[in-house]
Parts: sequence; structure tokens; C-alpha cells
Amino acid sequence: MLLRLNQASRIIKSGGKKISLLDTINLNVKEGEFISLMGPSGSGKSTLLNCIGMLENFTDGGYVFLEEPVHSMKERDKTKLYKEYIGFVFQAYHLIDELTVQENIETPLLYKNIKSSERKALVADILDRFNIVGKKDLFPSQLSGGQQQLVGIARALISKPKLLLADEPTGNLNSKQGIEIMELFAELNIEGVTIIQATHSESNAAYGTRIINLLDGKIVSE
Amino acid sequence: MIRNYFKIAWRNLMKHKVFSMINIIGLTIGLSASFVIGLMIYYDATFDNFHKDSDRIYRVVTDFKSPEGLFHNSGITLALEDAIAEDSNFKTVSSFYIERPSKVENKAKDLEFKWPDFVIFTNQNYFNLFDYKFLAGNNQNILTNPNEVILTDKRAADYFPKMSPSEIIGKTLVYNDSLQVTVTGIVENFKDRTDFIFQEFISQPTLLQTRLKDNFIEKNWSNTNSNSQLFVKVNKSSNLPAIQARLDGLAKEHRDEESIKYGDEQIFTLQPLSDIHFNEDYGIYDWSKGQASLSLLWNLALVALFLLLLGCINFINLNTAQASQRAKEIGIRKTLGSSRKQLIGQFMGETFLLVLISAILSLILSKWLINLFSDFVPEGLSIELLNTPLIIIGIIILLLVVTFLSGFYPALILSKFNTVSVLKNHLASGEKKLKLRKFLTVFQFTIAQIFIIATLLVGKQINYLLNKDMGFKTDAIVSVYSPRAEGEISKKELYVQKLKAIPEIKEISIGGQAPASFSTHSSGMTYNNGEKEINAELQFIFGDKNYLKLFELELLAGRGHRNDTIKELVINETCRKFLGFKSPDEAIGKIIMIDDENIPIVGVMSDFNQRSLRSDIKPMALRGDWHRPDWSQFQAVHMAFQNESSENLKATLSKIEDTYKSVYSETDDYRAEFLDENIQRFYNRERKVSKLLNWATGLSILISCLGLLGLVIYTTNRRVKEIGVRKVLGASLLQINTMLCKEFLILVLIAFIIASPIAWFGINNWLQDFTYKTNISFWVFLLSGCAMLFFALLVISIKTLQAANANPVDSLRSE
Repeated sequence: MLLRLNQASRIIKSGGKKISLLDTINLNVKEGEFISLMGPSGSGKSTLLNCIGMLENFTDGGYVFLEEPVHSMKERDKTKLYKEYIGFVFQAYHLIDELTVQENIETPLLYKNIKSSERKALVADILDRFNIVGKKDLFPSQLSGGQQQLVGIARALISKPKLLLADEPTGNLNSKQGIEIMELFAELNIEGVTIIQATHSESNAAYGTRIINLLDGKIVSE
Repeated sequence: MIRNYFKIAWRNLMKHKVFSMINIIGLTIGLSASFVIGLMIYYDATFDNFHKDSDRIYRVVTDFKSPEGLFHNSGITLALEDAIAEDSNFKTVSSFYIERPSKVENKAKDLEFKWPDFVIFTNQNYFNLFDYKFLAGNNQNILTNPNEVILTDKRAADYFPKMSPSEIIGKTLVYNDSLQVTVTGIVENFKDRTDFIFQEFISQPTLLQTRLKDNFIEKNWSNTNSNSQLFVKVNKSSNLPAIQARLDGLAKEHRDEESIKYGDEQIFTLQPLSDIHFNEDYGIYDWSKGQASLSLLWNLALVALFLLLLGCINFINLNTAQASQRAKEIGIRKTLGSSRKQLIGQFMGETFLLVLISAILSLILSKWLINLFSDFVPEGLSIELLNTPLIIIGIIILLLVVTFLSGFYPALILSKFNTVSVLKNHLASGEKKLKLRKFLTVFQFTIAQIFIIATLLVGKQINYLLNKDMGFKTDAIVSVYSPRAEGEISKKELYVQKLKAIPEIKEISIGGQAPASFSTHSSGMTYNNGEKEINAELQFIFGDKNYLKLFELELLAGRGHRNDTIKELVINETCRKFLGFKSPDEAIGKIIMIDDENIPIVGVMSDFNQRSLRSDIKPMALRGDWHRPDWSQFQAVHMAFQNESSENLKATLSKIEDTYKSVYSETDDYRAEFLDENIQRFYNRERKVSKLLNWATGLSILISCLGLLGLVIYTTNRRVKEIGVRKVLGASLLQINTMLCKEFLILVLIAFIIASPIAWFGINNWLQDFTYKTNISFWVFLLSGCAMLFFALLVISIKTLQAANANPVDSLRSE
């Protein structure tokens, strides 16, 4: 089992009122799964992804990742766990504008204190694999959306995460680029990467091995 | 990782060129000022700290307390040395006497040297106290016999050119035509910074063969001469209060009757070695070198600190304002696994890079600044001093402190951003951060405002001093000095005769100094009005019959003195009042006693300022040249011109000089001074202060306005959409500009309100030194406030007008 959510909730206060963003979620994710989270805007897909990715915290309930209790962990240990096992892909790519393609991909390795020579090799491998060797010295603003997202995914994968979290990865792309990205995800899943993606699109969701529907912070169907 | 950081820092610098420039300019100004001023402080603080046990060496100096005030003398009475020589509190007691021989000859080489400077008469103890390195000769049992001298290598090279130290030993020098003195040692000049610049050390017993013989045979307790110096080294165990008590006891014991009668008292004090370089009361040995002033150094340090602070504040303001632009990068880095500590590290690294760039620029600038501020910078200070280890360490520490001061807060703010909200573009600009920025801006403008007010008021005071009527004519008067020590009047009279042929000259007078000058002559006077005796110090000016007329000094009663040598006085109003005469007429014919002579008062003149306007008008009298031809007080020929404008001035001056040369054909020592220039020199210190303030003001306005510009650029950029909407709704250019400027101008106003009382207090304090003060006028504050507002408005408008002018369609479409 990769992760377990047990009665996990996220409730925030806004203007004196309590708003429940996630409501008693129970979810088990096994290694090698490809899960698609679906639901309308505001249903809690992104929040659930962020909480699983430890960018936000559940305010209630249990969260166990690789048999370690995340809910009772210190921030530092969380960062460690996160650095090691989780990769993120965003709808808006979120590349660092001041860094080149190559440097963007390299950044996670810097935070894992990997040696320069090894970093070079890893980055070269992944550039090769994603067919973007020719673009390695360009800045994000010089790339098309699809290419930026490719770099984003390459960056998420560089540290060989067990879990890839993708928040509407194709939301800003045209359909052809979208299909390419989804096929890449499917390929990665076959290689053993666990993927959880949030999406609006039925066709994208269909790439997943399991679809979870959310509404108002609750899982309504699986 | 580090490389990555620097890369991103560098690209960020290049991307935000305007902000980077503002930051670098601000920090560079602050750092340059700190470097130069730091060097000055280091330079002055490291004088004479290399002597062994320098913290235990003291100079014994004398303070005179009398009803007229406190006077200081760096010397002591000759008798004091013998009285304390055996005191067990002192490890070494060393005296020396500074005496400049008129001539030194090296007969063997036929070399003659006139008036060599820095010659002292001393003994073995001097060399026990101060460690000189002997290049030749024995360093034991030295200077015990008469007619021995030790030279420094520098002086030896003058007297005995091209000879090695050991060859010079045993050679003979002839002082003042009669004293045969043998060289017994050559010492090395001190390599470090020192105020002990003596070059020749003659054995003390030799004094008995000089004109000072009588003084040394019978050493007394009543004459104090600053040439007679005494140094002591106290024992480790001795306690200073006990020593002071012993010195006080000696002073009391030897107080003479006259001192008791007049309430005079002399106090011997120990002056620490480290104090000599700074204490203007007692002075240093080389008068040509300006003495270091502790208060000036303090003021300079304050200026540097303020400029540096302003630079740091700019940095903090701009970087926190810019934070939202970096927020995305921060969010991404956090999702990629960066810890907060790593982010703080990154931002501090960026700050350090910027500080480093500024530091390099500052080092280059410093060289130029040292020249620019040569009025303040000591002569021997050069940029090479930067190579000293202590300075290098100091600079590194300074850079780290500046990095921390300016970088830490922004780094904290930046690294605190919540990842998710940043990535979702929900960036709320915290109200609190805005408050801090406003506070810092107010702080900056307060400093700038204080500087502006101070500059205006100091300028006003200087202007007031220079333009205030001193009570006599100061314009278009030139004084030509006759050769030094000329006792005869005949040549001056001949000169005057010849000058009379020049039609441009209106009046000519032979006399001493002009009514206002740096020098004072005075004597005690006594007047008995039948009831009691009045004693006072009376100052003198010397002049012939024409003197009053030339300087347009008004005669209130009586007449001027009848001729140069008749013993008559023309007193001023202050003196008249002091002596208790009710009217000028009453004073005429009264007799006062000066130096046991009865002198009649023949006239009363109106008051005028005989010194700078810092000081009061003192009792004074005009007199002739009584002691001619033994010695003459008449050193100058004063001339007033017909025409006050500078027309033909040059031609007239060259005529005056030519005439001088025709009279004094044998000398080339022509000295002419303009009275108004001399009066300006009274206020050199004030003008230095003023120059410093001008710079500080300019720079602080520059830094503050740059910072303001940065903030304005930032806020207007954020409000582009609002501006667009308002324009669509029909707002005019002016309305939008007013809206944008308002919030900043309020800050400037607050700064003004805070600055005014502080500036008033400071200037009021400064003005206490002056007897004649300009008033601290309301309009100065108003003017400075308006100036600040004007500058701020100018800077703000550059950006706001541009923003208000932009086509709203562009800003709204991009949203």
C-alpha cells in the first residue's frame, strides 16, 4: 500500500464561517495505480491532491504514506519524505522563468544534494528520453505550452518519485498536445510510477485504472 | 547549488535593472562613505599604539584655573620633574625640552642648516620610554654627558649625506655657532604612525650652555612653557587617583602669593598617550598637521551610518515590494523540495552578491572620495591603508552585517509564502508588510529632511556671520606685511610715501594686525576709581594716526593718539563700560595702569568684533608703537581702495607689489592679505561642516528618492488595472495622478513633522557655540518641507504620469 487516507478532512475558516473543503475522505492507493480524480470546479480535487502532496495539511483524520503517519509528522520529516517520493505536475506548468530548461529539470536534484556529475547524467538521460535535448538551453518563455508541460513532467520525474501528482496537466494544452501528455502518463504508469491526476475531461480520465468522483469535498462514487 | 543560486541571482539582477540599479546606488553610496570614514577613524585611532606598554604612558600637562576661565598648557613647570622623579608610582619619568637652534653646521663638509625643526634636549629616560631602534651607537648610558646628540636616520642623511650610520658616530656638529656637539647614536625613525616626530636628541646637560641656562640652574614652580614636556610611565600596580592626589598636593604646596591673590590655580594632569592625537586643548608637536578631532570623527561616522542605513532600507523596501514577483519561483521551489532554510540561504546569497558588487564599486569610488574630501581626510592617509589585515576583516564584517541587515527581513518574508496560494495566484499582500514599508520610507525621509533643514540653517548662520557688520570696514582693504622681525619704521614710511602716488588707494595706515585677526595681544590693566581697584585683561590693536580712519572705526569721544610712540590709549565701549564710566566723555583723561606705567585714555571708539563672531567683544584699546625701535608692533601697511568694485584691482595690486619690491629689494617675501578673505577664514570649520552637510543632504535625498521611485513603480504597476478601469469610467489624468501621489506625499509629510523638532533641537544646540546667532526662522522649515515635497513629487510623477497616460485598453485586455 502506497498511501491510506482515513476519515481525512480539511476545514478552513473564512469570514467566520467554517468551510469544509474535504469531508471525511477514505482512500487507499496501491503502488502502480493510475487514479483519475473527477468532479466540477470547487469539488475539492486540487485540495485533495495538495494534501496528498503535503503542500497543504488535512485538518482532521489520518494520512499514512508508505506506512508512515504523515498527520503526526514534523514539517522537516514531511519535506524529506516529499522530496524522496513525490513529483508534481501543474496545469500552469510553473517552470522557473529565470532558469533554462536544463536548469529547471536539475533543480529538484539540487535540493536532494546529488553530486554535479550525477546530476548532469540524470538530466541528460531525461532530456534524451523526452526528446528535448535541442531545447535544453532555452528559457520557458521560448517554448510552446506542450513543450513547457513536457519539461514540467520531466522535472517531476527527475528525482524518480514513486507518486506523480498531476493537477489538470492538460488544462492549458490543445487536444493533440493533451493526448501526447496522457499517453506519456500511461507509459510511465506501465513502468511502475503511481499517478494521481485531477481532470475535467472524461477522455483523459479514461487513461486511469480507477476513477474517483468528488462533489463538495466528498467522494461520491468510485 | 551555490552556482545555481548565483546564476539565478544574476539573472534576477539583470531582469529588474531599475531596481538593481537603485539598490546598488544606495548601497554603494553608503559603503563608500563607510569605507572612507572607517579608514579615517582607523588612521587616527592607531597613532602611537605601537610603543611598549603604551597604555601606561602619560604626558603631564597643566591646566590653569582662574576667574577668567580655564586655560590649558601642554607643558609643565621645570621644577616638577625633580619633585616626582623618585616617586615609586612611576617606572620612568622622562622630560624633554623643545628648542629650535637657529643654525646647525657640519664644518667638515661645509654644510649649514638654518632653523632645523623637531630638536629636543633630553636624556636616557626618553629612550627607555619610547623604543627606538639604534642603527649605530650604544643604547646604554646615552646622553649623560654634555655635548652629545643622537640623530634619526632621516636627519642624519641631511647632515651627513652619503655616509653610513656607523661612519657618522663621533662626528661633530656645531649648533648656534658655538656649541660643539658629538654624534653618539643614530636611531631609526618610527615606521608606524606617530606624533613623536622629533629628529634630533641633544643631551640635557648641554642646555646649560644655551640661553636657557638660568631657567635650568634655578628651576621654578611659576613659569610654564609648552616647550617643557614631561612624560611618565606608571607602574602596573600604581593607582591613578593616588598619583593625581600627589600632583595636586605639589601644585598646592608651590602656589605663590600672587596666584592666591588673583585666585589662579595650576593643576597638573596625566594625559594618556592615546589622547594626545585627539585633544586639541594640548595640541601635538607638529602644528602643520591638522589635529584629529574626535567630534568630527563622530559626526562623520554618524553620516556614514545614516547613509548606509538608507541604502539598506531601500533594499528592504524594494525587495519586499517585489516579493510577489518572486512568489511564483518560491512556490515552485518549495514544491520541488526546497526547505525554508534553503530559500533564506538563497535570498541572502543574492543580497550578498548585490552588496559585493556595491562594495567593489565603493572601493573604486573611495580613491576618488579621499581626494574630494581632502579637507577632512588626514594628509598621510592613502588608499593603500586598505591592505591592513584589520581593515580587511573590518570590511568583510561590514559587508556581512549589511547583507544581514538588508537581506534578512525580505528573505524571511519571501520564504514564508504559502506554496499553494502562490501557485493558485491568490497572493494577498499583507497589510502588515505594507505598514513596515511605510514606516521605513518615513524613516528615510525623516533623515533626508533633517539634513535639508540643517544644511539650510548652517548655511544661513555662515551667511549671517560673513555678512554681519563687524563694526568696521572690511571690504576692499589689503594689508601688506613687512619682512618678519623688522624693527625699523623708516622703510615702511618710505613704502607709504611711494604708495601715495597710486591714485586708486584712498587711505594708508601703518599698524599691527587689522582690527579682526587670529592673533591677540593683551596685558593686565588696573584702574583705581577711588573706591576700589578694577583688574582686567585688556586687548590691544596697534596702529598709527590713520588707523581709525582707514577702518572706519567711529570715535565716540576724545581724539586719536597724537603720534606713534606717545603712550596714549583709545579704548572701546566695552572697556569703557567695564571700567564703570557712565559716558564716553567721562572716560577721557582717566589714567589706567598697564605694566606699572600710567597711561591716559584719550579717546573712546565704538565697539567692533575683534575675533570671529563666535566670541564676545572684549575690552580693547588702540595704541601706538611704544617700544620702537627695540621691537615694533607695526608689521603691516594697510590700504583701503577708492573703489570697492574689483575693477582694475589686478593692476592696482601689481602696482602695490612693484612698489614693495622697489623698497624691499633684498627680500622676496611679499605677503599681502585681503581683510575679507581673512574674515572668511575665521569660519573654516563652519564651512567644513557646511560642505559635509551639503553632501550628506544631496546623497540622502538621492537615496531616499530612489527608494521612493522604486516603491512607486511597484505600486503603480500593481494598480494598472485599477487605473485602466478608472480611466474608462472617465477619470482625468490629473485625478489619477493625485490619487497615486497622495499616499506617498502623506509619508513625506509625516517625515517632515517628525524631522522638524529633531532638526530644531540639533541646530539650536550647534548655535550655542556662537555669541551671534541667526534666528531659526520658520520659513527655513517651510522651505525645506516644500523642497522635500517637490523632490518627492518629481520622482513620483515620473512613474505615475506614465501610468496614468497609458491606454486603458492595453491594461484591461491583458487581464
